[in-house]
Amino acid sequence: MVSQAGAKTIQISYLKTIGIVNNGLNGRGYTSPYDLAVHKDGRIFVLNRCDPPRSAAIRVGICNLDEDYLGEFGYGYGQGDGQMVWPVALAFDSKNRVFITDEQNQRISIFDESGKFVEKWGTPGTAPGELNGPAGIAFDKDDNVYIVDQHNNRVQKFTSDGNYLLGWGGAGSGPGQFNLPWGLAVDSNGDVYVADWRNDRIQKFSGDGRFLASFGEPGQGEGQFHRPSGVAVDADGYIYVADWGNERVQVLGPDGGFQVLLHGEATISKWAADYFASNPEEKEVRDISDLTPELPDHLSSPYHVSSQTEPYFWGPVSVSLDGEGRLYVTETNRHRFQVYQKR
Amino acid sequence: MSDPITQESTALMAHLLRRAGFGATRDELEGYLAQGYEAVVEALLYPSDPQNMPDDVIRRYHPEQSELRDLTSSGAYWMYRMITTRSPSEEKIALFWHGLLATGYSKLNQARSQLNQVEMFRRSGLGSFRDLLLELSRDPAMLVWLDNNDNHNGAINENFGRELLELFSMGIGNYTEEDVKEGSRAFTGWTLGNAEYMAIRAYKDSIWPYSRIAWHFQYREQDHDNGEKTFLGETGNFNGEDIIDIIVKQEATARFLATRLFQFFAADEVTEEGKKTIAQMMQTYFDSNYEIRAVMRTLFNSAYFKSEEARYARVKGPVELIVGAMRLAGSYQSPTLGIEKVTNQSFFMGQGLLQPPTVEGWHEGSEWIDSGALVERVNFVAKEMGNTDRPGVRSIIDRLSASNGGTLTPDELVDRCLDLVGPITVSEATRSTLVGFAERQGELDLMNHQPGDEAEQRVGNMLRLVASSREFQLA
Repeated sequence: MVSQAGAKTIQISYLKTIGIVNNGLNGRGYTSPYDLAVHKDGRIFVLNRCDPPRSAAIRVGICNLDEDYLGEFGYGYGQGDGQMVWPVALAFDSKNRVFITDEQNQRISIFDESGKFVEKWGTPGTAPGELNGPAGIAFDKDDNVYIVDQHNNRVQKFTSDGNYLLGWGGAGSGPGQFNLPWGLAVDSNGDVYVADWRNDRIQKFSGDGRFLASFGEPGQGEGQFHRPSGVAVDADGYIYVADWGNERVQVLGPDGGFQVLLHGEATISKWAADYFASNPEEKEVRDISDLTPELPDHLSSPYHVSSQTEPYFWGPVSVSLDGEGRLYVTETNRHRFQVYQKR
Repeated sequence: MSDPITQESTALMAHLLRRAGFGATRDELEGYLAQGYEAVVEALLYPSDPQNMPDDVIRRYHPEQSELRDLTSSGAYWMYRMITTRSPSEEKIALFWHGLLATGYSKLNQARSQLNQVEMFRRSGLGSFRDLLLELSRDPAMLVWLDNNDNHNGAINENFGRELLELFSMGIGNYTEEDVKEGSRAFTGWTLGNAEYMAIRAYKDSIWPYSRIAWHFQYREQDHDNGEKTFLGETGNFNGEDIIDIIVKQEATARFLATRLFQFFAADEVTEEGKKTIAQMMQTYFDSNYEIRAVMRTLFNSAYFKSEEARYARVKGPVELIVGAMRLAGSYQSPTLGIEKVTNQSFFMGQGLLQPPTVEGWHEGSEWIDSGALVERVNFVAKEMGNTDRPGVRSIIDRLSASNGGTLTPDELVDRCLDLVGPITVSEATRSTLVGFAERQGELDLMNHQPGDEAEQRVGNMLRLVASSREFQLA
């Protein structure tokens, strides 16, 4: 995909797919992945939300870009230390600690990079500093953390040890208001971007909560969104949006102008190839199948198309970046992520 | 024109809503009564915006109900729809067709496509029976369930062709084995996209590498038998559409459809009076060019349906019972941890959504009740209705406390509770037992009630007992 961004040219090309559905309780593969974060050393930490039948396996899986599965950590499903119920997002702080939000337990759980539980904080409620459905999470360069407090329709800023600093928002569709916000990102200037999920837009704020801009409107066209769930911003200011309800990813320029549309083009991951090597009868008929079929009108919504079209994004819940210009799109329903390279 | 609010008009409206929907809260009943019986029948036959819990909200908090990999999660998705819809008749008719045109997960391992079939029932379940059978014949879940993907030109598989006649339209005894064969020839080439790959994935229950791939219909012209066929006395180069055109004009089809609608929406057993109503429904079927909606209109407006004979003449199916209790209690109105356990409850009571036991669907009526299922049924509804935290139960408490200055004698407590959960009419013996229970603690004073206090608990306990009554288990 190539697009002009003012004087700049942005090119994003597909690199590879990593993942496979995991039906067991642990090990290689993913179970309803909901977010991922890339460690400074390149390791990829994937948060598995896990569905009710597999909730005991709730965990973070670690792999690298070469598709080596390096391990995992988790303390199980529940309310105990290190446990999770409905985890939503994760982020690294400057000390490589992993912060995970849990919208059911109303708290943030913190682990070191080896996966050892460190601490937790968060108090349920509506008062400043309290949480009702913590979702998107991101750090600024001073190691302060911004958290989307979805059911309170606001963003709150804390120190990394959980001391409340400030917050803004409110329910509504006006500038600076939210309707069940989800993902969040901080750019290199310290500005904050919020995926204002049910308002079908991305809002941009200064680090202290001053409204700066709003990008997008409801729809399926370029620059339009349907329930955007995730957002990321690269060093050049390009804005990557997980346009979840449209089953796609859009890239906007620093000014919010539409740049690139991605629908997904997944291929066979290393782990998937291993599966087919031991199940050749499936591979044989798969090879004569059309995995991007024409569909009847009643199955033409993005959701239905993606449910029938394996290479396309299905449930692209979050977008993540590394320091090498790579974009990672986490797909909950396909238990994988697709990797793209910005050039 | 609104109905005068009398005990009888309220009871009749409640009866209609138990059959065409899943029962009604008192607030809903009052709204319906303001419209009048026949206007409500029309509204139920033309479902409007269901305003159910939106799909995007369900998918955000329950990603498993977006992916639909497993049976339980998929049943839970439909359960949310039924619990929260404002157009309950749309879900009720879909549930009817799901039981009659049964398709089960155990063979398919493809819940997304089954739910697409349920959506088809919502979309077409009240329209022309011809169109519904045609859509059914193009439904990939049905085609795989009855092996039509193995029905080839020169090598027919009769499974779909047989059940189309036996279980979906005319009933046994109204066609010959030759008709089955000839009909099956007409449906050769009616299959699904990537049939070979999808079949092996279904057979192996394969979710690999990237979870399920949903299905869509495909017609393979090169696999269709274009030869001449003779079906039910007519001869031609029939394709599947022609076969359905012939089926829908048979009297046996009219009788089959009218009888099955009658048994699901009016009474488990067909009495002499019931037979007369079925005859009227059959006439409407032909007069309306096979419109299901018109046939149901005839039923709901019939003297039989409105009569005392039709009241409590059906055993609630497990899904009806659960959904009805949860709608009355106001439970699960937003995404809630544990919804899949509710779906499991339905399975334990004998009706797993998307999992009818055979192609014949469920055996209904009194067969819903065995000793194990009865315990499950009573425990579930008693727990829901006895929970004073539930919004619907709180609404009942508020209504009780608003009359007579919040003071109720034991008789009044019993009668008001029976009224507000239905109204339902119980036997004198049941009523005496309930009054006896209420008398143990004397008069109830709700004047200064607080959430969960002793006075409210007394209401919860009475609602628990009312929900345990025989009549609450009946529709």
